[in-house]
Amino acid sequence: MIGFEAISHHNGWVAAATGACIVFSGLITLSIIISQLHKLVALLDRPKTKVEVVSEEKPVQPQLPDCPTDVSLIITRFMPLIEELDPEFELAELYILAKKYHVPHPHLSIRSLIESGKLHPLGDGIFRYND
Amino acid sequence: MDLFFQFLHNTGFGLADYRNLIMIVVGIVLVYLAIAKKYEPLLLLPIGFGVILGNIPFFKGFGIGIYEANSVLHYLYFGVTSGVYPSIIFLGLGAMTDFSFLLANPKLMLLGAAAQMGVFFTYLSALGLGFDPFEASSIAIIGGADGPTSIFLTAKLAPHLIGPIAIAAYSYMALIPIIQPPIMKLLVSKKEMRIKMPDMREVSKKELIIFPVVGMILCTFLAPASIPLLGPFFFGNIMKESGVVDRLANTARTAIIDTATILVGLTVGASTQGDVFLNHKSILIFALGAVAFSIATTSGLLFAKLMNLFLKEKINPLLGASGVSAVPGSAREVHLMGLKADPSNYLLMHAMACNSSGVIGSALCAGILWSFLMG
Repeated sequence: MIGFEAISHHNGWVAAATGACIVFSGLITLSIIISQLHKLVALLDRPKTKVEVVSEEKPVQPQLPDCPTDVSLIITRFMPLIEELDPEFELAELYILAKKYHVPHPHLSIRSLIESGKLHPLGDGIFRYND
Repeated sequence: MDLFFQFLHNTGFGLADYRNLIMIVVGIVLVYLAIAKKYEPLLLLPIGFGVILGNIPFFKGFGIGIYEANSVLHYLYFGVTSGVYPSIIFLGLGAMTDFSFLLANPKLMLLGAAAQMGVFFTYLSALGLGFDPFEASSIAIIGGADGPTSIFLTAKLAPHLIGPIAIAAYSYMALIPIIQPPIMKLLVSKKEMRIKMPDMREVSKKELIIFPVVGMILCTFLAPASIPLLGPFFFGNIMKESGVVDRLANTARTAIIDTATILVGLTVGASTQGDVFLNHKSILIFALGAVAFSIATTSGLLFAKLMNLFLKEKINPLLGASGVSAVPGSAREVHLMGLKADPSNYLLMHAMACNSSGVIGSALCAGILWSFLMG
């Protein structure tokens, strides 16, 4: 027996079609799997233990003492600085000196001294200490 | 004087048959091709020399010939008829295969599947020419362009055809530089030949280690009859990729595969005794083998062109020709053809990806055909 008759007799058409489909589906499945393999590897590469999230600590700000409302206390703090300056000085010089010696709340303190009349303005930003 | 004539009668000269002489000439041609033309010398030299050796006339019944039960050659030939050598060759093949190119571009695996269409087309052709399904399956697998797979399947289904099928399979593998280029030129335009493939991504070590396990499980679940081939193949590969048994992997890809190749080549060659080999079936097998190989190449090329209709990033259709599992012959041929079209077009690594897919595909085909006929 030869020709198409022989092929049909031995179920050749079905065998060839089925075989081709199996090979294709097998290799397509394998190609899909290997195309996703790097994702699986990425999953495996994840660290097993949960990483403890350490929140970044904010830099500790030195707790500044409250701004004193007592003018005499402010004068006590500022007197050594004023003595370092000339009798007539620029306000900026006092401020810089206060910052240098970490005197708390220099702005507010200087303002309190001005309001209380202990610093007397001479004009053009020049001040003088009033006893 | 009588003693002298008796001696002369008992020598090869006295016992020579024209069929032996024809086969000796064939053997000499194969040896010539291997040495002078360097056509797959690793295969053709042992086979060619084996053909000459197997056709030296001798007294029958004295345990000399390969088909005589107690001969040395018969014991060596056992590795072929039992399918042992192909499994050992696959072990070594696995230990030398680098799947990173395939893992980097998995769609190239489809070209390995497409090239297997030659197997099923030849199966139908062989049935149509009057071969029974066992013989037809053994002949068809030549289209996979994989010598060890052809020997393995034939040993299981049609052992009486091992000689012609093995010779045909290995000969066509060696003749790739003659068979494939004309088909490529016919089906692929110059413009398509110049298509450059993108650079491949880097594949991690873990992917390379996982692949042989996943590949073996999937393929052998699908076609358990392919276990004797794909089992050693993927085992060899995991030995290579794991890096923990370098000594074993190195032995598998050198001494072991070389020993098996020598023995399989020599004994398959020696199995082509003129009186057994030269018949109309052998001629038909050679003709069908050529058809199988050509159809396999054609279907790979056409499928690559078909894929390009749907892909945004086009692939070079030449790669389809390397979907057959003739490693590394067809990949080399594709690379050379690409270089001819554009000297800056390097396709070798991409073609090797298709090649390694073809090895899996042809072993899968063998398993499927064997499974069909088990029932």
